[in-house]
Parts: sequence; structure tokens; C-alpha cells
Amino acid sequence: MTPPDAPLLEVASISISFGGLRAVREFSLALGRGSLSGLIGPNGAGKTTVFNLLTGVYQPDAGTIRLAGRSLPGLRPHEIAHAGLARTFQNIRLFPDLSVLDNVRIACHLRARHTLAGALLRSPLHLLEERGMLRRARELLGIFGLDDRRDEYARNLPYGDQRRLEIARAMATEPKVILLDEPAAGMNPQETRELAGLVRRIRTDFSLTVLLIEHDMGFVMDLCESITVLDYGQVIAHGPPAAIQRDPKVIEAYLGAPAAVEGGVPA
Amino acid sequence: MTRVAPQLDDGPAAWRFVPRNLAPLGAALGLALLMHFVFQPAAGSFASKLALDIAVNIILAVSLTMVNGFTGQFSMGTAGFMAVGGYAAAAVTYYGSFRLYGSPNPPAGILSAFGDPTGLPLPWLQSGDLMFVAACLFGGLVAAGAGYIVGLPSLRLRGDYLAIVTLGFGEIVRVVLQTSERRLSNAEQIAGTPWPKLLTHLGGSLGFTSIPYFTTLFWVWLAAVLTLVVAYRMKRSSYGRAFLSIREDEVAAEAMGVCTTKFKVRAFVISSFFAGVAGALIAHQVQSINAGELGFQRSFDVIIMVVLGGMGSISGAVLAAGVLTVLPELLRFMADYRMVVYALALIVMMIVRPQGLFGVREVWEVGPFRRRAAGSGAPGGGAT
Ligand SMILES: Nc1ncnc2c1ncn2[C@@H]1O[C@H](COP(=O)(O)OP(=O)(O)OP(=O)(O)O)[C@@H](O)[C@H]1O
Ligand SMILES: [Mg+2]
Repeated sequence: MTPPDAPLLEVASISISFGGLRAVREFSLALGRGSLSGLIGPNGAGKTTVFNLLTGVYQPDAGTIRLAGRSLPGLRPHEIAHAGLARTFQNIRLFPDLSVLDNVRIACHLRARHTLAGALLRSPLHLLEERGMLRRARELLGIFGLDDRRDEYARNLPYGDQRRLEIARAMATEPKVILLDEPAAGMNPQETRELAGLVRRIRTDFSLTVLLIEHDMGFVMDLCESITVLDYGQVIAHGPPAAIQRDPKVIEAYLGAPAAVEGGVPA
Repeated sequence: MTRVAPQLDDGPAAWRFVPRNLAPLGAALGLALLMHFVFQPAAGSFASKLALDIAVNIILAVSLTMVNGFTGQFSMGTAGFMAVGGYAAAAVTYYGSFRLYGSPNPPAGILSAFGDPTGLPLPWLQSGDLMFVAACLFGGLVAAGAGYIVGLPSLRLRGDYLAIVTLGFGEIVRVVLQTSERRLSNAEQIAGTPWPKLLTHLGGSLGFTSIPYFTTLFWVWLAAVLTLVVAYRMKRSSYGRAFLSIREDEVAAEAMGVCTTKFKVRAFVISSFFAGVAGALIAHQVQSINAGELGFQRSFDVIIMVVLGGMGSISGAVLAAGVLTVLPELLRFMADYRMVVYALALIVMMIVRPQGLFGVREVWEVGPFRRRAAGSGAPGGGAT
């Protein structure tokens, strides 16, 4: 078994190419249990591709990924979700024509133990687990301030609510590690501030490990304990926010404009 | 927040499990008996035949809803699954009658069409009825097996391509069945032929004829209500939501832990089972089944019901099945234009209301009936 102080998620030099484009090169990362980290980089740096590699959407050409000691490459996305790695999508991918509540309940299904036959016969275990899912989904919606809107179609939610619903849905899979792809994109400063509070809260309340991609530098620098910077598919810097902000390579990557880093690089 | 660990004292009373399942069974039996003993004598033979067709079409439309509506896969294979189920069941009852009773006339109770069991013990249910029920289930299972095979390509194909594969499946079934051996009718020969061999004697291009007559309003409505119970319970469960999530966004469904491949194949298997049962019921009503008549046209009729009713709405499919069974009878004078009218209706539907009359919702969830507003206002902030 893995020693208790070993990183929960351990990524070692994964790479992937799309045709001639080497989108991610030798990417490595270690996330300690309960850590809150950021992944930043200019547009097209390969951040989302890293998430897609971690969650099984793409298979790495080389490298290893281990979650709590278990090797992930080769597993299908739903198996990785079972293993405890959940994510949100940069281009929101909710279930638009289902209710807000059902969006979250669907993500509860993977922990259910009753069978399809049990569901059709309305077995006691089925009813019990359905109740549990309802309760759990509503608790999560409550945390994200969406419980009042649970009967609305996901498609009808305002943008910010859709982003939060994505996080609530990912949380419903009971993950060990959650990957948030630009959770604050499209939010106003007020919403962004509240989001930072929410991320902190779920991290503590659910003893969660968080890795997030974000272009809002204020948000990232304020929230994350350590930051990895990606440029042209490669890690160019890694460290605490203060060091990253001063790192000349990072400043150069962001168009050689130090002001942009301090003032927040626009998305 | 606490994990919700199932605890028995927290759970619903376990004994209710029995009434929870006996109740729908009782309702199905009740309605079936009502149709058989009250509706049929009162309404006459024309209306009864219509009621029988409605029930069969309800089974078919609801079955297709499970694939096209719940998981968003586009199957055009309904007629093929009906043929598979119909032939399989017909072979069981036809050759089974020879084997078990030495004649093509199995004993049947008063609930079946043969039913004149005067003087026999147990006039309600004769052994022939049991054979018939077993044959229908067998037809359903064979069709489900075919559904499994057809479901496999759905893992890699979507949209139009899958539709073409299912269409091709229907054609293959038709050709295979039409090139089967002639139906045997000599009792001694049948007795001397092993079952696997008998199953290749399905009547060839003439179709399978002389099938015993079992199917009555009782059996079709029993089957229809049970199909509805299964479909509704499926939709209103964790599994049903998982099916729907595939239709909504396959990538997101997979990321949320739904094994989309397993669920897609499951949908095909369950849906084909019911289509197979419907085929079996029809075969034992018409007393013959001909794969040549179960072509694309028959699948199309069912697709229209699902599209009109709403992709994913069970009650919508039921309503559409009813209307589209009765309407052609009322419009008999313009029967030649039926397909034109259908096509026009479909086109208008696709433009005005592409999600069907009821979308994924049930009839009582829309309009003045709905409990709670399911959201209004502008379409959501665009996903990038
Ligand atoms: N499936 C794919 N096929 C081909 N190229 C791809 C694919 N996915 C990503 N890429 C390319 O890989 C590069 C990295 O893309 P990625 O989406 O990971 O960037 P990103 O860092 O998330 O950018 P952004 O900040 O704009 O979201 C881009 O050049 C993109 O065009
Ligand atoms: Mg991205």
C-alpha cells in the first residue's frame, strides 16, 4: 500500500500529441491529500488537455498517473470517476434538458449498489438509496445555493449558477480529487469572491483535494497553495503563488508583461 | 455533511415490497379483464380490433422510447425485433402444440381466442395458455439477444450511422427468415425432428402460417400495462436518469461515472425484448407472420409515434400510439395519402417542436397539470 504521506494524485511525465502538435510534454504533478493547487498558462497551453488525460478522455502516449496508488491510464472515464477523480468542464456540459436536481442525482448513481431489477421491483435497497441520493443531492445544492432552483431545467440557469451546478454535480460522485476547469469564467467579481469561499469550504468539509485551472490571476493567487504553470504543453514553473508571480519565465510566457500577471491576465 | 450509509431502521418497511409489486400486477390484470369481458362484448369486433392494435402499438412505442427517447440512440430496427420475436414465439407454439398435444390445436382457457374449455378443470388457464405465455417470453428473449448484437455498434456509431445499421439489421432479419425452410405440418415428421432443426423450418417466403390463435384483448392489455410499469419505473429511477444523461451529454455522463456503453446496450436489450413480445402477440392474433411485411414501413410507424409523443415521454408515446392507431381508420378515405400526411406532420413537428409534443416530460408534467414550474425565461447563458 501507499505510505500515508505519499501524494494522493501522482502524475509523472505524461505526454500526448495530436498529429504533429505536442499538446502536453512530460507533464508531472503531485497533489498532496487535502491540497488546493492551481494550473495556469496562456490560452492553448494544454491545461484542459491535462485534465482530459487525467480523466481518461485521452490516453497519454507516455507517462504514469496514479490516484491513491492505483494506476489510471487505460481506465475509461467512468471508471476513473469511480476511482474518485471528478471534474467540471470548461465549456459547461450539464444535462441541459433535465432538472437541476436530476443533474446532481445522476452523478450519485455510481455509488448506488442496487441493481436494475431492484429498481424495477422497487426493492427496499433501491428505495433506501434513492432517498439517500435525493438527500445528498439536495445537501450539495444547498451548499452551492441552488436548492431553490432544483426543479428548473439546467439550461435555464444563469451562467454563474451553471458553473456552480457543474461543481455540485462533480461533488456528487464523492470524489477524492476534484478538477475544476475555469470555474470562475464568466462570473462577475462578486460571484468570483463567493466561489473562492465555496471552494475553500468544500475542500475542508469534504477533505477534498482540489486542482483548478483559472485565468483570473487574483482568484488563483489568493486561493491556491501551489501553482503549476504550463506553456506550450510544458511545465515552466511550479511553486507557491508568491514565487510564481516573481518568476521571470512565467512573466515572459504571459507576453512578457509583468503588469498582466499582477493585475490578472484576462481570460 | 454525512455520508448516507443505508441503515435498515431508516429504510422503508420491507414488507411493503410485496404490495408495491402486486398492485401494478393487479391493475394490469384488472384492466385486461375489463377489456376482455366488458369492453369487447360492448364495443363490438371493429372497436375491439382497434383496441388490440392500440395495445400492441403502445408496447412498440414505449419500447422504442427506451432507446430513442431515453438514451437518444436512433434505432430503426423495431420491425426486425418484432419479426424475431414473432417467429420465435410462433415456432414454440406451433411445433410445441404438435409435440405436446399431437395436434395444432392446443388447449386454451377462456381468456384466449380458442377458449371453449367447457367441462375442463381450470377453465381460465389451460396448459396451452401457459405455453403461449412462455412462447411470448421466449420471443422477447430471442429479440433481446438480437438487441444485444444490434446494440454493440451503437457503442461506436451515432446518429445517422447507427440508424443505418439498425435498418440493415431489419433487412438481414427479413432475408434470413424469408429463406428459411418450409413449415412442417406432418405430425410424425415434427415429432421426429429435433428442436434446433425445427427452428429452421419457419415457412420461408410464404411466411409462418397456421399459428395457433391465442392473442386476445386480455393478453395484449396485460402486456401493455406491464410494459408501461417497467418503462415508468425505469425512467423514475437512478437507472432511468443514467439513461437520460447519455442522451443529454455522453461525455459528461461518462465523466459522472455512467458506463455509457453498458447503458446503451442495456437500452437496446430491454427495448428489443418488448418489441419481440409485441411481435409474438401479433403473430398469435393474425395467426401468421411474414417477415416480408415487417419492413422499414412498420418501424417507421413506430418511430413517428415516439417522435410525435416526445422523445422520452412514456405517456406521450402512449397518446401518440392511440391517436395514430385510430386516425388512419377515421381517414380511411384518404389511405393513399397516409404517408404524405405522416411525413408532413413530422416535418412540421421538427420545425415547430423538435422535442415532440411532450419532450421528455410526462403528460401530467406539462401545461396546466404540472406541479411546479420547471423553469421559464430566457434560454440559459450560452455554453461556450
Ligand atoms: N482533440 C484535439 N485534437 C487536436 N488538437 C487538440 C485537441 N485538444 C486540444 N488540442 C490542441 O491542444 C492545445 C492545447 O489545448 P487546451 O485546450 O488543452 O488548451 P488550454 O490550456 O486549456 O487553453 P484555454 O486556456 O484556451 O482553455 C491547443 O492547441 C488545442 O488546439
Ligand atoms: Mg482549457
